[in-house]
Amino acid sequence: MNEPIFEANDLSRSFTVGSSPFRDLANHFLHDRQPTVLRAVDNVSITLAEGETLGVVGESGCGKSTLARLIAGILPVSSGERRFRGEAYESLLARKRDALKIQMVFQDPLSSLNPRLRVGEIVGEAAVLHGVVPRAKVKDYVVEILARVGLPADSVGRYPHQFSGGQRQRVGIARALAVKPQMLICDEAVAALDVSVQAQIINLLMDIKRDSGLAMIFISHDLGVIRHLCDRVAVMYLGRVVELAKTSELFASPTHPYTRMLLEGMPKISMQRRKFMPIQGEIPSPLNPPAGCHFHPRCPIATDHCREIRPELREIKPGHMHACLNIEAR
Amino acid sequence: MNIADFQDFARRFAESRSAVISLAVSVLFIVCAVFAPLLAPTDPYDLTQLQLSDALKPTGSKRMLPGEEVRANIRVDGGTASVQPASPTPTRLSIVASPCGPNCLAVGVEPPDAKLASLQVRNLPAGATVEGGRKHPIQPWWTLDNPDSNQARITSAGPLPAGLTLLAIAKSLEQETGFVFRLGTDNFGRDMLSAILYGIRISVYVGLVAAGAAMVLGTALGLLAAWRGGVADAVIMRAVDFMLGLPALLVGLAILAILGNGVSKVVLAVVIVQWSYYARTARSFAISELGKEYVEAARCLRLSPVRIMLRHVLPNCMPQIIVLFTLNIAAAISMESSLSFLGVGLPLTRPSLGMLIASGYEFIFSQKYWISIYPGIVLLVMIVAMNLLGDRLRDLNNPRLDR
Amino acid sequence: MSKAFFQVDDLNTWFFTRKGTIKSVRDISFDVSRGEVLGIVGESGSGKSVTGMSIMGQIDEPGRIVSGSISLNGEELTKLDFEEMRRYRGNRIAMVFQNPLMTLNPLMRVRDQMYEAIGAHEDVPRNAMHKRCIEALRAVGIPSPEERLNAYPHEMSGGMRQRVVIAIALLLGPDLIIADEPTTALDVTIQAQIIYQIRRQIDERGLGMIWITHDLSTLSELADRIMVMYAGAMMEIGTTEEIIGGARHPYTRKLLDSVPSRNVPGEKLKQIPGNMPSLMALGEGCPFASRCERVTEICREPVPATQLSDTHRIWCLHPFEN
Repeated sequence: MNEPIFEANDLSRSFTVGSSPFRDLANHFLHDRQPTVLRAVDNVSITLAEGETLGVVGESGCGKSTLARLIAGILPVSSGERRFRGEAYESLLARKRDALKIQMVFQDPLSSLNPRLRVGEIVGEAAVLHGVVPRAKVKDYVVEILARVGLPADSVGRYPHQFSGGQRQRVGIARALAVKPQMLICDEAVAALDVSVQAQIINLLMDIKRDSGLAMIFISHDLGVIRHLCDRVAVMYLGRVVELAKTSELFASPTHPYTRMLLEGMPKISMQRRKFMPIQGEIPSPLNPPAGCHFHPRCPIATDHCREIRPELREIKPGHMHACLNIEAR
Repeated sequence: MNIADFQDFARRFAESRSAVISLAVSVLFIVCAVFAPLLAPTDPYDLTQLQLSDALKPTGSKRMLPGEEVRANIRVDGGTASVQPASPTPTRLSIVASPCGPNCLAVGVEPPDAKLASLQVRNLPAGATVEGGRKHPIQPWWTLDNPDSNQARITSAGPLPAGLTLLAIAKSLEQETGFVFRLGTDNFGRDMLSAILYGIRISVYVGLVAAGAAMVLGTALGLLAAWRGGVADAVIMRAVDFMLGLPALLVGLAILAILGNGVSKVVLAVVIVQWSYYARTARSFAISELGKEYVEAARCLRLSPVRIMLRHVLPNCMPQIIVLFTLNIAAAISMESSLSFLGVGLPLTRPSLGMLIASGYEFIFSQKYWISIYPGIVLLVMIVAMNLLGDRLRDLNNPRLDR
Repeated sequence: MSKAFFQVDDLNTWFFTRKGTIKSVRDISFDVSRGEVLGIVGESGSGKSVTGMSIMGQIDEPGRIVSGSISLNGEELTKLDFEEMRRYRGNRIAMVFQNPLMTLNPLMRVRDQMYEAIGAHEDVPRNAMHKRCIEALRAVGIPSPEERLNAYPHEMSGGMRQRVVIAIALLLGPDLIIADEPTTALDVTIQAQIIYQIRRQIDERGLGMIWITHDLSTLSELADRIMVMYAGAMMEIGTTEEIIGGARHPYTRKLLDSVPSRNVPGEKLKQIPGNMPSLMALGEGCPFASRCERVTEICREPVPATQLSDTHRIWCLHPFEN
């Protein structure tokens, strides 16, 4: 594999729930109960090669959206390091022009666009402010970017609410492209769209990737979309990566029990009514995850030491890693 | 907001008739405030125009010219009579005298149609009488009461002695003028209509300036709290809680008790009370906006925090803040009036609506209702109109109440 | 095919807004039999949710049912007044929404909400109520139902809440349950569990169910019959085999083809170009005409239904051959 464009080592991010300066002060003196700590992202290490698309899949509360924001550099880490082309984020983010190389596309096509700004300003604002394009030429530039995402030139003067969901998502993509990024993070970018529109946006993202060689991190709960778009997939469960493999390999021979369960639960278009496996158990609250392997209460093959030992992500086959104590390479 | 959006907004606004009326009333009040000096028949701030005889006059009464007393010495010399005015101050009436026959002298007033209470001639020689007059029991003074002709005819048996000097004293009745006190007068004889118009001017000024200044200050602090979070947020919001915990009027009273009265001090008091509402509203809406993805997108585009707050977050909080502004204008007006009513707001010489209500308060049980009632109605209408306007704007802002 | 107990005929539900008339539902006809799940699939704006709300009698101003008939066990529902409809709701027809918090009162314990639901329609002693609640919760696969009865909605996960809502829907033994995107907001593993439980209840109790969703994959695994809607109109209706395996309508085909798992990974997805037309500016003809590749001049005229088999009906003048 060639030099990675992005690298994360032992990335963690915790949130303190129900904390405020005064309450902290009171707790300090009164020895009140400790505020609850939510470990949204827990020691995650991933790399992304040039031109690669990495999928991150997981259910709600698994920390995939927090991971997206850590990688985008809009949320500080609690511990661990992030590197873009070998440079640590701390120095990269100080130089705004270079930090623009990492961009993000968001889930909600409506709330991700400022309702009070016209599309022309939404797309062109940052490009002008950071000197990507001179102010005098910004209008032509925006029209050109809009054309790339399949929007007509007269969109410039319109407001987000005048567009359909799919068109809004195109505006969101145009906004990211306008500052010439090298890495694009898509956080559930097609989750809120109808099937036919979803296909249009997925195709658009694939076109952009093919034309510009962007590296992409694609975050989704939808295994079908991930399978279609990504080269490699990381499966997350309660803040941790439990399996990481090439897409084809992961879908053909998943090794981690959670991944298997996820794939079994994935609805498929089939002619006959499915015999549903009654999968047992709820996703535990991320506020109070089980000790040891987070998955052990739902795992069919859990043993006693799963309750105590945290499994580390390890390579079981070349390029295929998982975090399970009980399953070895087959 | 483009033109089509504005038209749509206006159409939705107009669906509520009470809101349209409120808007019209509010505009009317602002016009009154701006053009008060042109609209008001008198200048209530000009103390020299006041006359105590006009005090506490009911609605529709006319301004009265008070009656006056004119004195003149009349020197009779043979067939002629010369008049020398003897009043200490200039008078509207003057006394004239002319012979009316060999043994006759007519004493009258100019103008002849003036209504007189009495006309008295003193120092008549023995034997001379005034026709239809009544003689003083002791003195040689003859008096005509309510004379119809405004003329005293002095007749005597023989010719009047040469060198005789008579003293004529004419007392006129009160006289109506054309000036009508449409809403009556207060206890200083001030025209209530003018006082109310100038009072509206003060109320609107205090309302707009105070609520506006509070909006700028409070919104800035609210945005700061939302953006910085942590200690700054905690300190600002505890200050807000503290301010909201105190009764507004009490705070205003305390501030004015320390600073003394005056328009700028009332404005300051209102700002100190009201900034907390804006801070709380701006913070809560800014926090909800900051949680939206477009703000994350702006961060990802590495825009500066100041730009994100002012260009992206603030415009999206503005509708709520403007609603609060409308409602707070009414609150500021009401607070100014309350403070003035309590006697700490504005000086006596610059009556606001609240003070007019207060000054009429002591007469209201002696049936002199107009001093309190008219400013009270105006204040009520103004505050209700502003509140209805604010409510309508708030409803239009709430998409759940609108289809 | 067993006899249908629930029928909708030529239903039209329109919204009369300031900006014009939105014809959200146009000439919809279908029926549901006992023990059957009818899936209604469509994209946003297809009118699938409005269809559900029309059946529930929950169309608010400025909308109303313009024409058509809805009948349950032979009784006409569109003629009922508000009070009669209220008795029908929950009792004979129950509805489950996408967001369980729309149904659950956050300030009431699960038990009280369930008691209230029973008490609104029947006079039952408390211990009998309790037994029924426990049974209903168990039926939807809620572990330790005694404990859950005392919980507040916020103390449960999204999946648990949705199960409670379904349990409440089952409480009064309705004939028909209408579920509007009930599992869309849930994670796949939870979704699979709930679908399993619902299917079992339908089969055991012989209920009818209308499952409204945009997700063809879920439907293909759950539904007995599928109805495809587009821009307020029916496109195709048939058994799951007929729709998934042998769709004849160009829209249904396109919709199936745009699902990623039916495409070769890494290749471009087959997509439907363009956007759904505005519901205010629809002509007489096929609403899909503007995006259809098989369109001809006659598609601008009203399209009659074509009966392809006992169960398979289609509204298209240029259907695919099988």
